[in-house]
Amino acid sequence: MKLKKQGYNLCFSAIVLVLAAMPLLLRAGVITSTSFILFLGKCIAFSIVAIGLDLIWGYTGILSLGHGLYFALGGYAMAMYLKLQATGGKITSFMQTGGMTELPAIWKPFLSAPVSLFLIIAVPGALAGVIGYFIFKNRVKGVYFSIISQALTWAAYSLFTGLQSYTGGNVGITEITSVLGSIKGAANMGKMSVLFYISLTILVIIYSLSYALINTKFGKLLIAIRDGENRTYFSGYCVSRYKNFIYILSAVFAAVAGALFVNFNGSITPAQMTISYSITMVIWVAVGGRGTLIGAVIGAFLINLCDYHFSSGEMVEIWQYILGAIFVVTILFFKGGLVGIVCDQIPSLWKKNPESGVVVNE
Amino acid sequence: MRKSISTLFLFIAIAAKTIRLDNGVTMELVSMWRYFFGRKKENYMKIRKISAIALSVTMAISMIGCGGAAKSSSSGAGSGAADGESVKVGILYSATGSMAISEGAVKDAEVLAIDEINASGGVLGKKIEYVVEDGASEPSTFATKAEKLIDQDKVVTVFGCWTSASRKAVKPVFEEYGNLLWYPVQYEGMEDSSNIVYTGAAPNQQIVPAIDYLIELGYKKFFLLGSDYVFPRTANMIINAQCKAKGIEVVGEEYAQMDQTDFSSIISKIEAAAPDVIINTLNGTGNLSFFKQMSEKNYTADDYMTMSFSIAEEEVKTIGADILANHMVSWNYYMTTDTPENKAFVEAYKKAYGEERVTSDPAEAAYDAVYLWKAAVEKAGSFEVADVIAAVEEGGITFAAPEGTVEIAGENHHLIKPVRIGKVDADGNINTVMETDPVAPDPYLTTYEWAVEANIQPVE
Repeated sequence: MKLKKQGYNLCFSAIVLVLAAMPLLLRAGVITSTSFILFLGKCIAFSIVAIGLDLIWGYTGILSLGHGLYFALGGYAMAMYLKLQATGGKITSFMQTGGMTELPAIWKPFLSAPVSLFLIIAVPGALAGVIGYFIFKNRVKGVYFSIISQALTWAAYSLFTGLQSYTGGNVGITEITSVLGSIKGAANMGKMSVLFYISLTILVIIYSLSYALINTKFGKLLIAIRDGENRTYFSGYCVSRYKNFIYILSAVFAAVAGALFVNFNGSITPAQMTISYSITMVIWVAVGGRGTLIGAVIGAFLINLCDYHFSSGEMVEIWQYILGAIFVVTILFFKGGLVGIVCDQIPSLWKKNPESGVVVNE
Repeated sequence: MRKSISTLFLFIAIAAKTIRLDNGVTMELVSMWRYFFGRKKENYMKIRKISAIALSVTMAISMIGCGGAAKSSSSGAGSGAADGESVKVGILYSATGSMAISEGAVKDAEVLAIDEINASGGVLGKKIEYVVEDGASEPSTFATKAEKLIDQDKVVTVFGCWTSASRKAVKPVFEEYGNLLWYPVQYEGMEDSSNIVYTGAAPNQQIVPAIDYLIELGYKKFFLLGSDYVFPRTANMIINAQCKAKGIEVVGEEYAQMDQTDFSSIISKIEAAAPDVIINTLNGTGNLSFFKQMSEKNYTADDYMTMSFSIAEEEVKTIGADILANHMVSWNYYMTTDTPENKAFVEAYKKAYGEERVTSDPAEAAYDAVYLWKAAVEKAGSFEVADVIAAVEEGGITFAAPEGTVEIAGENHHLIKPVRIGKVDADGNINTVMETDPVAPDPYLTTYEWAVEANIQPVE
């Protein structure tokens, strides 16, 4: 068991090292396209959400199908700060189209950098706190929680597309340069590398934080809640408080990821807030392997890399079937995802007794 | 678990039997069902092992594929590469997702134009090679893919995008990389990026003349109905200003959610407001539900005339000609447009993609875009993006398009094109009832006094 954990961390270190080498390879001319590095930057953001989702789903057993909401909230907060930096505090064009003459009060705090950074974390965190408080206090769980999380995301999506003069409607906030200015093209390679390393550092911090967390007594409690919620109640723990905390934490992770994503992507649209996008996030975790942090990271990278490379050329109309098939096979046969295959299924092929290989399922 | 799989096979076997599949296949499925259903756990374990290997191999192949792709991209060094026999262009559209149906027609028209050009000798002696990317109906995917096309595939230009959201998402990408996008759909205006050529209509080539035409016909009470996004919002802002200046009453303005299917409350608001004409900027499935529900109340064009800006031949086909008969639309091109170029275009389109396919304004604009790019490249004498943009801005690039000869207005990258108001007939054709001479594009409506007065300008 200890060996396995070391293996996970080794694997994560390897991923980080490979990623860290990317900008250097770009500089050395081995990779010529800066856009691929930019794309990897987005993948880093995705893997941060995946870690958050894994904490609540893989470890605590709460399946949230609405993390796009927090991802987009972080994204919108960041995007508005960057947009206001660019316009110099004046109103944006979508506000003008909506008939406004001055900056609406809700966006005023985003004129200052420290307040914006605080709000990127605080707004989604507070929202998750309020939602979580009522849901978990009332012991809503399982599929009911999933449905509520979807409904909330849908409501927020309608709100954001409806309030066009505040949020840019379904176009969202576009034409944003990153915190460091433009990062596109070979000329801005330096800035892009800096931003990439900042994101990578944040990923390492969040992974380490989560890893430390799940190895404490608190982490064990989360697993206890997943495997026997009533028993945990009877043992005298206030389960709802633990659930609420981990829900807030994962929402904050999602918001941080959203803020990073905007820097690399240059725009945020309500598409990131949709239910289908939220479910995509769950798929990353499921395919990678839930209940292992590394599984979430691998899943986020792998699925997005496949998306990126498959959805062009001759595959353009069938790539979603391929991804769908991979997902269905994973869910049907391998609950442990890719990590489960590598750690459990493949070793079992060499063993004589076929029964012993099945640890994750059944 | 095991049972569910075995039941699945049984179902497939039954299904295969009912659709009279080859008997051998059915027996094979039945035997697979037996294989699972037979209470031999080893069999099941074996299958699991096999699929474990299969899945790992698939993943491994995809990873290698990724590595390979990264490598292949690194080989194509230098920008604006037009090495050897061919030149690479990009086609960026939604092959999947909610916009796939609309955008597929545009892509087909672009591919048709490229094939025609290749058949007649290519551009500057080089064949056009196209790289297709899927934007998956999602704006940030569009941005990612635009970047991939420009930076990795080193395309010299890109054709595509449909929604304003996707255009706005890719605009900074094209501007920062200094590449050129050919955008083929009518839109809300208020934009003139030097890295985009807009081959669809600007508001003054679709919306403004349509409203003028309605006023001329004597309509006095307008009701504005649209989907809730940037095009209808901006269009209605323009229409409101125009109506105010011309003394026309706007008796109501309603917005429906993008995927709204229930229009009963909006219809009752229309009934209460009693307009002469409904200005319809609904998009997508909204149109289908709205017109179906109007016809369920037995309303025809005689009761409530509509003027639509997003209904083309494709939509008429889905909604039904009987429902849309006598309603008006405004575009620059219809399948029935009577020019020799259009006859050839419609014929080629149907020959390539099937008799049942229809051409529409966006498809035609996309077709024009490829030819206009060719003309610009030939004028510049080079594939370099900067030279092509310079040629475009110099002006005078024309193409004898199916809608009539179009010309790129150098100062704002839009097309000088004719406006046509059409009426749907009982067979589903759209017939031109009013046609103008080519109209100069004015994306910011600066030549219209009422627009300047109403201060319809983006902040910058």
